[in-house]
Parts: sequence; C-alpha cells; structure tokens
Amino acid sequence: MTIYSFWIFDKHCNCIFDKEWTIPSQPRSGTTNSKQNENVAKLLYGLIFSLRSITDKISSDPVDFLSQKNRIRSITTGKCRVHLFETATGFWFALMTDFKQDDYYDILNHIYKNIFVRFISLNYISPSDFVENEDEKGGQGIRKINNKNFINNLELFLSPLIS
Amino acid sequence: MSSSAGQQQIKTLKVLGEDVWKNKVEKINSELFTLTYGTIVSQLCQDYDRDFEKINDELYKMGYNIGVRIIEDFLARTALPRCTDFNTTSEVISKVAFKVFLNLTPTIANWSQSNDAFSLIISDNPLSDFVELPIDAMKSLWYSNVYCGVLKGALEMVQLDCDVSFVSDILRGDNQTELRIKLNKVLKDEIPVIED
Repeated sequence: MTIYSFWIFDKHCNCIFDKEWTIPSQPRSGTTNSKQNENVAKLLYGLIFSLRSITDKISSDPVDFLSQKNRIRSITTGKCRVHLFETATGFWFALMTDFKQDDYYDILNHIYKNIFVRFISLNYISPSDFVENEDEKGGQGIRKINNKNFINNLELFLSPLIS
Repeated sequence: MSSSAGQQQIKTLKVLGEDVWKNKVEKINSELFTLTYGTIVSQLCQDYDRDFEKINDELYKMGYNIGVRIIEDFLARTALPRCTDFNTTSEVISKVAFKVFLNLTPTIANWSQSNDAFSLIISDNPLSDFVELPIDAMKSLWYSNVYCGVLKGALEMVQLDCDVSFVSDILRGDNQTELRIKLNKVLKDEIPVIED
C-alpha cells in the first residue's frame, strides 16, 4: 500500500493543510502546503462536496442518530482511492492512496484524535478557526496549518505507509 | 422517532458516556479543579473591582474560548455525529458531555412548548464546592458562568446557535442550580463561492 497525499478542509470550504509525497521510497520528499496544489485542492473539495449532496439525497431511511448518515467514505478511480473522514464540526480529512487497502478509517481517526486535536485544537496558541474575516469564507481562504509539532508528528505517523 | 426508540437511544448514550468516562479519560483531583476555578474568579473580582456584571461577561468569554476547542476533544473521544434534533442534543449534553468532562449528569427539565429550549438542573456542581458568596456578590454574580460560555461555544461549532444562561443558582439562595439553553437557529453549512 502507498499513500500519495493528505488533505484537511475546514467548514469554511478552505483547504487548511495539504501534504503530497512525490517519491514513494523517501518519506521526507514532497511538498507541504504548496501553492501549486491550490487548484487540485479546490477540485477535490468540489468533488467531495458534490458527492456529499448526492449521498444525502439518495438515502431515504429515517436516520437513526447514532448510526452515521449516508456519508461517503471513499472515492475510487482507476488509479487511486480517496478516503474520507468527517467530523461534526465540519472538518474533512482526505487521504489519497492506491487501492490495495479498502479502509483507512482507523488511520484517519488516529490522525484526528491524536495529532489534530492534540496539536491544533487543544493548542491555545494555534488558531482554532483558520478564517479571520468574511472575505476568507466560502473557499477563499489562504491560511494554512504551519504548526511544526503537527507536521512532524503527522509525517512520523504516516511515513511507514509511504512505500 | 417513536418513544421506545428514543428510550433505547437515551440508554445507549448513557452507556457511551459512562464508558468514555471510565476508559478514555485521565482522572484528576476535583478539588484541584475547584480551587483553580475559585482562584480565577477571585482574581477577576480584584481586577474588575467587584463589578459583577463585567465578571459574568468575562467568565462567559473565557468559557466560549474553551468551548470552541473542547468540542473537538469531545468529538474525538466519543465519535458522535451531528445531532438530528434538539432532544438528542439535550441528552448528549447531559448524559455524555457533562459525564465525560465533569462526571455528573444534570437532569433535563422544563422543555418549552415549541421544543426549542430546556433547562439543565445541576446538582453537586463541582465548581461551587466550598464556595460561599459574599453578600454583595449574591445578587449579581453567576459564579459558574463559565459553563454558559463553554456550552455556547461548543454548540456553535456544531452549527447550533443557542442562548445559554443561568436561571438560578444554589449559591444565590435559590433551591436549585438551573441553566437554560435556548436554540435560536440551526446555522447553515457554508458553500463554496462559485468562480468563473
């Protein structure tokens, strides 16, 4: 199994973090919060957003609160698979991988619980909301997660999976 | 939702709250917590020259800042999805949230007719252990006002715009501590701005 890239979107439709690994054998290779990925991020957001609207519409059963809504978990193409993890506060975590493994839920859950919450949400020095004014809402934002602890821990955790 | 399914769900939430509290929360001495909070309030009393209205506001703001962050911790521990109705929200707050963070389960009471407001009756409030308010504070200080801010902030992060305030407090000589939560509206999720 190989992972290609990792993305975080917030509830203001902004991509607040992206990481792409370019050479699979070298976990340290690749780009973080790259300007060049801006358009890909928007397209990926749009894809997930549209699929979400569709899945919301096609589930007709009354939703029991504890069983999740009919959310997309992954999107597969001929070459790769995008795994998704969504929180009630509106963060989306997306992991792009090859399609040898079906489920990365535990991995995304771990990233949220032990890396994101720890180094971003409960870190009072880091902003909890990456939008500073109205103009940055609706996908117009430019702010990214640049927290060193977060990035290092994320790379450390994901590096065994890049190969 | 039929009432038996509702009962079932309440039971499940109760079990969830207890499980998270037992297995996934590090315990600390509650007296340390109580005394730390007491220090904060008494420092505020000094800083604001016993202007209790301002102190209430300040506690509320501090709570808000805690709430917008603690909600992530809460969701990470419980993995709960967004609530589908306000009844469920009330159950989650009392059976899971208060249980996980403070090991207490407030009673839900006084639903408004339109089902958009309810009260939490908090007995054994850990913040007010050992506390006795001086006469001048009894009229206007809401000692545990930080709760209101926390609930406001946390609910706002899951798109519920609510008003949260105390109605009565044992410390002020009332016979129970009652916190009122009123839903203003469910906030809409943002959609991306369309570019040409």
